[in-house]
Amino acid sequence: MTRQVTVNSRSGRIEINGSRLRYVREDGVVIESEYSLEGASVLLNGRSYRVNKGAGKEMWVNGRRFSIEVFDPRDLRPGQGATVNHGRQEIAASMPGKVIRVLVSPGELVEEGQGLVVVEAMKMQNEMKSPKAGRVAEIRARPDATVGAGEILVVVE
Amino acid sequence: MFRKVLVANRGEIAVRVVRALRELGISSVAAYSDADRGSLPVRLADEAAYVGASPSSESYLRMDRILDAAKRHGAEAIHPGYGFLSENADFAEACAAAGIVFIGPPAEAIRKLGSKTAARQLAIAAGAPVVPGTDRALSGWEEARAAAKSLGYPVLLKASAGGGGKGVRRVDGESQLQSALRDAASEAGRAFGNSEVYLEKLVDEPRHIEIQILGDQHGHLIHLGERECSIQRRHQKVIEECPSPLMSSHPDLRERMGQAAVKVARAAGYANAGTVEFLIDRDANFYFLEVNTRLQVEHPVTELVTGLDLVEWQLKIAAGERLTLKQSDVTWRGSAIECRIYAEDPDHDFMPAPGTIVHLSEPSGPGVRLDSGIFEGWDVPLEYDPLLAKLAAWAPTRDAAIRRLDRALSEYVLTGVRNNIAFFREVLADAEFREGRLSTSFLDRFFKRRKKAVDDPEAEAAAALVLALTAACTHAQRVEQSRWRTSGLEDVLR
Repeated sequence: MTRQVTVNSRSGRIEINGSRLRYVREDGVVIESEYSLEGASVLLNGRSYRVNKGAGKEMWVNGRRFSIEVFDPRDLRPGQGATVNHGRQEIAASMPGKVIRVLVSPGELVEEGQGLVVVEAMKMQNEMKSPKAGRVAEIRARPDATVGAGEILVVVE
Repeated sequence: MFRKVLVANRGEIAVRVVRALRELGISSVAAYSDADRGSLPVRLADEAAYVGASPSSESYLRMDRILDAAKRHGAEAIHPGYGFLSENADFAEACAAAGIVFIGPPAEAIRKLGSKTAARQLAIAAGAPVVPGTDRALSGWEEARAAAKSLGYPVLLKASAGGGGKGVRRVDGESQLQSALRDAASEAGRAFGNSEVYLEKLVDEPRHIEIQILGDQHGHLIHLGERECSIQRRHQKVIEECPSPLMSSHPDLRERMGQAAVKVARAAGYANAGTVEFLIDRDANFYFLEVNTRLQVEHPVTELVTGLDLVEWQLKIAAGERLTLKQSDVTWRGSAIECRIYAEDPDHDFMPAPGTIVHLSEPSGPGVRLDSGIFEGWDVPLEYDPLLAKLAAWAPTRDAAIRRLDRALSEYVLTGVRNNIAFFREVLADAEFREGRLSTSFLDRFFKRRKKAVDDPEAEAAAALVLALTAACTHAQRVEQSRWRTSGLEDVLR
């Protein structure tokens, strides 16, 4: 079995064959080993790793967090992948929280780095900034509303 | 002694108090908000009382609802933990008026020590050293110039009504004084409606060391030694230890600070557990900072080193019992270090990170103490402080305690929410930390010399292996399920 892999946005490939594993990274690093897997315990070259799933695409290995995805190469059809975003940029909440203030109004011109919305979680306020200069196309955030991580707050174009 | 006590708090400290109550054979009532219905303290307590909606202003901060919950459940006393209503003199009075015992100091002592400037006056009167400065508001530029000159630069301009860093300016020389005075006064005016400012000598890169005090209602008051809490981010402590590494080179410092702390507490008419905070300059001179009139988050390190149970003593003292310990009975054995496990991301400015705990394996073994408020599957609410747990290690020496704490951290698996477990292992490995060269600017300087995490492709391979095989397995299950579906087995299994 061969799978495409991205680890912390670096791509690679993993080949699993019986009890053997080969991991090849785009930078040329290669790991080859017999493996043993039992629950959350992985043994590679005699070393012990504890592997646990985290939130979303996170996997934790011996206390370190990796953002990792595995694809079956047969599922990757041409045309999939990066979508063209026509210069529209969606600004999403980086953490779940409550919208405290909306700092801009629709149609307003904004600078790169300008504050758009203030979200509060766990007694800390976080200002969501515009990633680019442009015009506020849409505001979805409402003051006092509770938002989830990744929820779109503002669209800048 | 009480028969039933309401715990008016949440998270790990509520668990801590529920545990102490059970050990003493006292029934516990956990107060809970909507977000905390499924929380660990509710699971562990004998009874639980709903106190309102998730925002703390509608639940844990509502005196009326907390008192009502205590009455409904027949609790004779309320333990406020830390934060929330714990340092609220009005609440302590309201408890007394309702015939319920507030487990903490008398309301008058909370009030006297609550204001920074009033506490400073009290400390001066009691003969405790304070940071040199002007004891009242500055009348204008001429007075500021003369005062700054006699104190010696650098100095700090501070708002008399201050708090939260508002109206504070560092001034390094006379040329900056005039504009700093104007800025500080106008900022203070806007923030507090009072533009009065005063001057203090700046203590550069201070240590933060505090003294635990304990007193009964019969006038007997002792100290339980110090905790060094210099490792802070955003003015909040993250690592605390006892003894302070400074004590080995200054053997009489503990006793001198302890006596100063007891003097301040006595002047305020203090009883129950409390903490007197000090700043320490480079020459090991100490200056009174403020008094926390409650149980501290970091109390476990004192408990580990002195062998005393602070929460048990809080309960006994509140019930009117005598503190049977003399100052000479208190001894300090070995070294204890605690780190605060927060749901926050150390790689992104310690941004809070609420979420669901996907996997949890907690450390244990020799000399390890864990005060935790979480479990696997728990949704860490976004309404409250991101403290999840406190991990402490005790060992005969500081070096051994560091190694033991690192070992415990290496066993700790907590996934689903970003946290600072791995970050603590980096700090514990740092040479300056190991040498005990601590100050409140330690973390700022640590970030400048922090090394990037080492590349570990084998760990990546392990993660990819598990993910690839799990995906293959789930795929196989789906195929299996669709077979059941076609054979009609699905209905039978429902």
